[in-house]
Amino acid sequence: MERSLPYRPVSEHVARTPWWRRAAAWADLHGRREGWLAFILMRLTGIGLVFYLFLHLTVLSTLARGPQAWDAFIALARSPLFVAFDGVLIFGMLYHGLNGLRVILLGLGVGSRRQAELFWGAFVLSIVLTAVAVRMILMMG
Amino acid sequence: MRTLNLCILRGGPGRPAAYQTYRITVDEHLNILDAVQKVWATQDPTLLFRHACHHASCGLCGVRVNGRERLMCLTPIAEFPDGATVTLEPLRNFPWVGDLVVDVKPLMERMAAIQAPYVRRDELTAGGEEGTRFEDCIECGLCMSACPVVGSDSAYLGPSPLAMIKRLLEEPRGRDIRSLCLLAGDAHGAWRCHSVMECVEVCPSHVDPSQAIGWLRRYLILRGRRQPAEAQRR
Amino acid sequence: MWIWQALSGILLTVLLVVHMVANHFVVEGGLRTYADVIHYLSNPVIFLLETVFLMVVTAHALMGVRAIILDLGISPAADRRLKAALFALGTLIVVYAVWLTGSAVLRA
Repeated sequence: MERSLPYRPVSEHVARTPWWRRAAAWADLHGRREGWLAFILMRLTGIGLVFYLFLHLTVLSTLARGPQAWDAFIALARSPLFVAFDGVLIFGMLYHGLNGLRVILLGLGVGSRRQAELFWGAFVLSIVLTAVAVRMILMMG
Repeated sequence: MRTLNLCILRGGPGRPAAYQTYRITVDEHLNILDAVQKVWATQDPTLLFRHACHHASCGLCGVRVNGRERLMCLTPIAEFPDGATVTLEPLRNFPWVGDLVVDVKPLMERMAAIQAPYVRRDELTAGGEEGTRFEDCIECGLCMSACPVVGSDSAYLGPSPLAMIKRLLEEPRGRDIRSLCLLAGDAHGAWRCHSVMECVEVCPSHVDPSQAIGWLRRYLILRGRRQPAEAQRR
Repeated sequence: MWIWQALSGILLTVLLVVHMVANHFVVEGGLRTYADVIHYLSNPVIFLLETVFLMVVTAHALMGVRAIILDLGISPAADRRLKAALFALGTLIVVYAVWLTGSAVLRA
C-alpha cells in the first residue's frame, strides 16, 4: 500500500557513497561506547544465527537419509571442536535474545538513561549462562 | 597553563586529507575551542572551524574530540594532562567542507521539512529577523554524526529531527499533524532506529532522542493512522 | 516492521526455551538416536509446536535480513522485490523442513 509522504530530504552525499562503504562504517568503533558495541554485536550474532538456521536445516536433512547418516552426525557432534561451536552458538542466541529485550525496552522509550548498565547486564549474563550450558553439555557427555 | 598537541584533520574536497599537529599552551580553565582559536590566531590563519557563542547554545563548534562527538566549547582543557595529544576531526555523516567544518544542510533541511525551520515564519516580528524557540535541541548535529543509520540510509530523518517531531506533536501550535505522523511513521522514520543510544550519549543538551523515538512509536501504535484532528487547533 | 520483529522476538525466547527443554531434558540424556528423534517428532502436538517455532524463527530471521538491507536505504521498488524474494525463501524453508521431518516420521 502506497501512502503519499510529505517532502522528505535525502542526504545526497550518503546516497552517493557505495553501499559497502556505508555498511563498513557500522564496524567503525573509533570513539564509540556501549550502545554501539551492543548494536554491532546484535548485528553480528543476528547474521550468525541466520547462517545457523540454514546449517541446522542441512543437518536435519540427514534425517531423510536414514539412521546411519543421523548417528554419524551425532558422533561428530560430540567432538570437542563441535562443543566449542555449540558454546559460540549458545552465547550468540543468549546475547541476541537478552539484548533483544533491552532493545525492545529502549525502543519504546524505557530506560534510556540506564542503557549501558542494561548492556553489561545482558552481556555478562550471556557469558555466565553460556558457561553453565557448556558445563552441562560436557557433563551429559 | 597547560601545553597540548592538537592533532587536527586538515583538508577537504579537492585538497588532500592529512593530520597536522599544533603545539599550544593555554590556561587550563579554558576549553578546547579557546585552544583552537589561539592556534588560528597565532600559528595558522588558514585553519577552518566554526564557532559563535562559546557557551553551548549556538551548536556550531561540534567536532570529534579523540573520536567522540563533542562541542569544543564544552570540552575543558583540564580534562587532558599536560603534554597530551588531542585529536580533532570533523563530524561524520555530513558533507565535508574543509578542516573541522562540515555542511549542516542535511540537518537543517530535515528540520525545515518537519515544520521546524531554523527561524519560523510565524516567529518573525514585523521587519525583524529575530526568532526564538524554547527547545532543548541546539541543532549542533552531534547526534546525526554519532548515529549509524544516518550514515547509511540517506533518507533517515535522524535523531534530532525525530526528537523535534515529538516536541511538535506534544505542542503542535497549528502544525500539520498528519504529515508529521507520516514522516515519523514510515520505514525511514521512527521505526528505522536501532537504539544504538550514541545520540543520547553525545547530546550536549540532554535532549534524549532515543526516549523521544520511543514516545513516537507508542504514539503511532496507540493513535494508529487516525488523524488527531482535535490536537490541530491547540 | 519493528513491532513485528519485537513481538516475534519475545515469542521466540519462549519457544526457544520450550524447544531446548523438549529436545535435551525431557528424555533422559536428551534426544540422541535416530529412533529417539523420530519418536519425539511423531507426537502431533510436538510436531505442530516445532513447526510454529520454525515459522517464527524464519520470519524473525528474514525480517532481520530485510532490516539490515533497509538500513542501507533502498528504493520502494527494490524493497517490494526484496520482500517478495524473502517471502518466497521463507516459504521454501518452512515447506522443506516440514517435508523433511514429516516424510521421515511417516517412513518410520
